[in-house]
Amino acid sequence: MTAVLAFVSVSDLVIGLSLGSRLFLIAVGLSLIFGVLGVLNFAHGAFYMIGAYVALVVTNQVVDNFWLAVIVGGLAVGVIGVLIEVGTIRPLYERLDGELDQLIVTFGFVLVIHEAVRFIWGSQPYSMDAPASLAFSVGIAGSTFSAYRLFVIVAAFVVMISLWIFITRTYFGSLVRGTSSDREMASMLGVDVPRLYTAVFFLGSFLTGLGGALAAPLQSVSPALGDQVIIDAFIIVVIGGLGSLSGAFVGAMFVGILQSIGPQFIAAGHIAIPFLAMVLVLLFRPEGLFGGIGE
Amino acid sequence: MIDTTVEYGIDGNTEKRSNSDFDRRTFLKAGAGGVGLTAFAGCLGGGDDGEGITLGAMYIFSGFASLYGDEAERGYELALEEINDNGGIDGQEVEVIARDTESDADTAIRQMTSLIEEDGVDGLFGLDSSGVAQAMAPQAEQNQMPLMVTHAATPFLTSPEGEHENSVGNDYVFRNCNSIVHDMYGAAQVAAELDAIEWATVGPDYAFGYETWDYFQAFSEGLGVDIEFTAEQYPALETSDYSPYISAILDAEPDGVITPLWGADLTTFLGQADSAGWFDEIEYTLFSVGMGTDLPADGDPLPEGQYASTRYDPFVPDSEENNTFRDTYVEEYDTLPTYNAEGAYRALYLYKEAIEEAGSTDADTLIETFSGMEHSGPVGEYTFNEETNQATVPGIWGVVTYDEEYESNVLDSVEVSGDSPEELNDALAGSDLPSGA
Repeated sequence: MTAVLAFVSVSDLVIGLSLGSRLFLIAVGLSLIFGVLGVLNFAHGAFYMIGAYVALVVTNQVVDNFWLAVIVGGLAVGVIGVLIEVGTIRPLYERLDGELDQLIVTFGFVLVIHEAVRFIWGSQPYSMDAPASLAFSVGIAGSTFSAYRLFVIVAAFVVMISLWIFITRTYFGSLVRGTSSDREMASMLGVDVPRLYTAVFFLGSFLTGLGGALAAPLQSVSPALGDQVIIDAFIIVVIGGLGSLSGAFVGAMFVGILQSIGPQFIAAGHIAIPFLAMVLVLLFRPEGLFGGIGE
Repeated sequence: MIDTTVEYGIDGNTEKRSNSDFDRRTFLKAGAGGVGLTAFAGCLGGGDDGEGITLGAMYIFSGFASLYGDEAERGYELALEEINDNGGIDGQEVEVIARDTESDADTAIRQMTSLIEEDGVDGLFGLDSSGVAQAMAPQAEQNQMPLMVTHAATPFLTSPEGEHENSVGNDYVFRNCNSIVHDMYGAAQVAAELDAIEWATVGPDYAFGYETWDYFQAFSEGLGVDIEFTAEQYPALETSDYSPYISAILDAEPDGVITPLWGADLTTFLGQADSAGWFDEIEYTLFSVGMGTDLPADGDPLPEGQYASTRYDPFVPDSEENNTFRDTYVEEYDTLPTYNAEGAYRALYLYKEAIEEAGSTDADTLIETFSGMEHSGPVGEYTFNEETNQATVPGIWGVVTYDEEYESNVLDSVEVSGDSPEELNDALAGSDLPSGA
């Protein structure tokens, strides 16, 4: 173990955390929606991609304010999420085989969104500048990072902590936890379940849209973006435990760091190692490393 | 044929509809769907060989490398205009039908089949991706259709089938630009002159990335360049964040890096490498065919003072032919021509010369004419080697310099090398790699 650790430099760690941070913002929404609604949202990666494109359009064509663009990116995706949930997923909750139908519907949206993005923006990649206030470099232990990369890591920690407080300390959070553990009981106690579902779907979508917008300056934005991240997000929630917030966080950082140090050991190792970790978790701890909502 | 099938298939009622064209069209539009419509269109457009010359252009027109298709289109459009304004080919009007390969071999093969069967093309040209080209070569032979490759650079494309396990060269496939072999022969010579011992690579995760590194090493050894090879990274195509790979290379602390990253992948990489301090820490970066990406990209992404290569340089050779082409191109498009534009431009002139010399568009006559043919174009004078069908176009390396007049990066101190197949074969003699030159 120490031999392996000797190869892991500070820069690998920082890059790993930054990769993990944006994966967290996708995975946490995916996990939250599954934990409460029982819906495995295949379109979550596509939502992330929309967040990035919206931020791009806002900064390039509407108003040159990065922070506004990030918020608008998150909100726009939240609204799209609500429309999809209310319009196409809600009618399927009561179906006998509803889960499979939901999966197919959300997969359908992956294709629709992918083609829509290609139609509107074309298939060439775009790049987005980091906000001017963070457009400088920081040297840590002999390596150079853009300040923005470090900011994204901080942002992910802030989101994690806020979400934690929100779920464990607020009234709405208690409704979410209650409904996730027993939907019928919550409904009988007067919780408006359909509306809660929509609110949670909004929150999950908002978070991934925010992630897409925040990550835009760190990567190229192209229609391939959604497909790239959704697989990673699935691996993360399987490792962390479907429905678990802390699981999504730890899983995301774990996969991020693996992706960062992987290239040094084996070609394509960064792709293979997370899958391997997922296989091991499925074999020995199929419920994931962490428990349910609020854990 | 179509109407009976469709009508029987749908409602079995032939009497009502069979004799009316109008009804048939309405019917097809209304519901028989894409299959019927496509077949219908295919019948109308197909197989007309009587008049005019039709050539099929196959490039990447969408996705991360769509700039290659856009550049090629400018090149062949210019040639098309010039040729048709001057009496066409043998007095016949020339038409080019362009198709998008989407950098995918299966798509490319489908498009080729459609160009041959539905559009009845007389010849094909283009191809950007080595992977696609390798899959297409056997198909060109099977369909007995001449294919003039203008960009894809794998040496195995012109290395005759059987020479190496990956070789796919055959009588129908030609290449009018230089390949990885010429490019890496030049790169090894650049490396020899630099004060850099340890070398690394970061390239795309497919044949082109691996072959670039293999041939760079083989030529360095073959030419006796005293350098070491320390690290290699192969991120997937369309990687959106190169940081882990950049960090892995920086950790290895090489003196020089050669990178064949291309298209938008290269511009993405450059931005991220720059903010990770790449150009402060690594003395020399060699951008293999970097000029093809730099010229069409926004804001001249290649850093000045680094080394880059190209398959054609707008200022080399300083010949009348090249200067005229460059000036015409700049006037038309307000930018310097890239190698992909020049390759596509020249492909049309090659077909013109071959068809006029052969007096026919017969495929077998054409390939006989191409084989061993001497030609000259903006890139200079060259010959198609009869053994390989590869043009003797040299590798071209230089130092990236910003040019005020053209408001873009150009290559300075340009060195050309390796236009002789014997020279390349000798340098590779100690390795098991074919030259395909």
